[in-house]
Amino acid sequence: MEILRDPKACYGCRACELICSFHHRGEFSPGGGAIKVRKDNRTGEISWRRGSICDFCEGERQLLCVKYCTYKALRVLREDS
Amino acid sequence: MTVRRIKGGLAGKILRVDLSTGKTWAEETERYAREFIGGRAINSLILLNELDPKTKWSDPENLLIFGVGALVGTLTPGACRVSVETKNVFNNGKGSANVGGHFGPELKYAGFDHVVISGKSDTPVYLWIHKDNAELREAKSIWGKTTFETEEILEREHTPRRIRVASIGPAGENLVRGSGVICDRAKVAGGSGVGCVMGDKKLKAVVVCGESGSIKVAEPDEFFTAVEIALKKVRESPLSEMMKKSTLAGRWTDPDSPNWDFLISTRNGQDDFWEIEKRVKIANSGTGFPKYRKSTSACFMCPIGCMPFFEIDEGRYKGTKGEGFWSNTIMDAVRLDITDPEGMIKAWILANELGLDADFVTNVASWAFECFERGLFSEKDTGGLKLEWGNIDAFIELLRKLAYRQGIGDFLAQGVKEASQELGKGSEQFAIHMKGQDSIEPYRIPKGWALGVATSPVAGRHLRGTSIGGERFGPKRASFLAHTYADQPKYVVWQSLTKEMEDMLGICVYVGTWSGAYALEPSDYVALANSVMGINLTEDDFFTVARRSYNLEKAFNTLHTNFDRKDDYPPRRFMEEQVKSGPYAGHRCEKENWDKMLDEFYELQGWDEATSLQTRTSLMKLGMEDVARKLEEAGRLINKQISEKRR
Repeated sequence: MEILRDPKACYGCRACELICSFHHRGEFSPGGGAIKVRKDNRTGEISWRRGSICDFCEGERQLLCVKYCTYKALRVLREDS
Repeated sequence: MTVRRIKGGLAGKILRVDLSTGKTWAEETERYAREFIGGRAINSLILLNELDPKTKWSDPENLLIFGVGALVGTLTPGACRVSVETKNVFNNGKGSANVGGHFGPELKYAGFDHVVISGKSDTPVYLWIHKDNAELREAKSIWGKTTFETEEILEREHTPRRIRVASIGPAGENLVRGSGVICDRAKVAGGSGVGCVMGDKKLKAVVVCGESGSIKVAEPDEFFTAVEIALKKVRESPLSEMMKKSTLAGRWTDPDSPNWDFLISTRNGQDDFWEIEKRVKIANSGTGFPKYRKSTSACFMCPIGCMPFFEIDEGRYKGTKGEGFWSNTIMDAVRLDITDPEGMIKAWILANELGLDADFVTNVASWAFECFERGLFSEKDTGGLKLEWGNIDAFIELLRKLAYRQGIGDFLAQGVKEASQELGKGSEQFAIHMKGQDSIEPYRIPKGWALGVATSPVAGRHLRGTSIGGERFGPKRASFLAHTYADQPKYVVWQSLTKEMEDMLGICVYVGTWSGAYALEPSDYVALANSVMGINLTEDDFFTVARRSYNLEKAFNTLHTNFDRKDDYPPRRFMEEQVKSGPYAGHRCEKENWDKMLDEFYELQGWDEATSLQTRTSLMKLGMEDVARKLEEAGRLINKQISEKRR
């Protein structure tokens, strides 16, 4: 399974980063999740990284980062798809 | 309404900083939040309780307070805002500004809901906040630098940590009155001269790193339900769709948009109409400012995303890049009769870089342009600048002169009220300000907008109660016409109270009630606040807290200035001179009708109609005995019953 981000659709709001931290820590702590979103204020470019602690939202009904992305910038790529 | 304990949402502490002694310490947020929830309301309470009315904005005793909204740091849609309060540098009354971006949540993750700064430093410093700690550091390497350079230098110095910076530019350092505090390069706490106060305190920046900090939610299940309802409303909001397509300023791409009728004032208010071809030139989606938009981004947790990034790769402004073009940018351009989209993009980015409030510079520039037109300024006075309507080069050069207080910039840096008094020769007639603060607002056509601007506790700015139509501003299903007087006070009061709520919680107006997104409204605020904080407010309770917050601001102005009813009228020009052209030619603010609006507005607020001052009855009803006592001691409390409605 892979989570893909469309850089053109991403607005850098960090909802994915925040909900990811809630999944891992039960509280909102951007430093505590797998996802890191950064924006370069000089160029407007937004980078997105998913770290190794990502467990693909084990125990949840769906991937939370995908669910809470209001810009529809994230999607799941499954191996069987 | 009783709040016993707050179980979530807050970082928990208020940071106190005394720049005169270099000391920092902390206190609990909760005792303030039980009564006033968070953000601006708590800032206002501290300001009212701790400042002697004799204090001037430039005294060391003046406070500069950053207050992050109570829901910021959670997944609440649009929750990112920080309120900044201080004494207003234009009038020594309530100073207030508000800013989004990513600074607010970072401050909470670093451990603090508010930062209360007193005193003055002898030498330039910046405040470094990290992991529940704070220290003052010398700012030699960044003093004198632009806000962009400041952010870059601080990022280098703090590598590898990710930091967020709120800084002032040369304008704030040089005590230009209309200076802002800039976050993330393009988000500006612009009003009231908050950047000027920061410069006066020799505080160059507040730098925060939240790293491993966190914010708890008291009732997660209820919270996520409330978030989903709110997000559904955002998705279904027509504004949200439009914002995604073309950003907020996109409304202006249509030359027939009602914005062009209601929200502009031309050539320093000589008229309130702008020709179609000029509208097209600056805002056409193919050739105007949208042409240069390379991308768009969102503030923290914002589901709408209104911040365009521009890049100009041709022509005179080649190489210009950065964020920021708003409805205000259009309003500013019209005010100066500028039709050059590239130039206005350049000017806005430059204003952010220099730490200037773009509305302030527009207002002083348009007054100066009119002085030039009337022969009150010559090229000798302006240092060779031809301050002619539409001259973008002169405007851009004027920005630099203002920020560094060079030549005419030094004269204009005080704002139009005092500049016109100094110049005389009739220039006071067209010096546009409310309660001394420069104002770019339209007054003559949209009557509710004008009433909101004129009565705002923060003089002359449009986020505190303005309304232009029930379908856009005001409670749902409200029905009124923007250019009429009827019912406007009702909606102005409603809007001003919902804005109090938004600023307590830190929710941006663009997902709230103000811009007409109708994504979130008071019922959502209550559901979100209750679940995050573990409290049990009703919607009525929250309106009561909002009223208290508004009354704190009103009381501050009453105690710290001589403001009363006489100060709630539009600038002279808009009462005496009519709109000259366009569909609303002939409109002005008529005294008799304005008086009726004021009567109704004060009555709805529970204030005295004759003076606008607060009454004992209404303050006691709100449980604000302390405030009533302060006003009584100052001889500024009205003891009589609120008069019966006149109509």
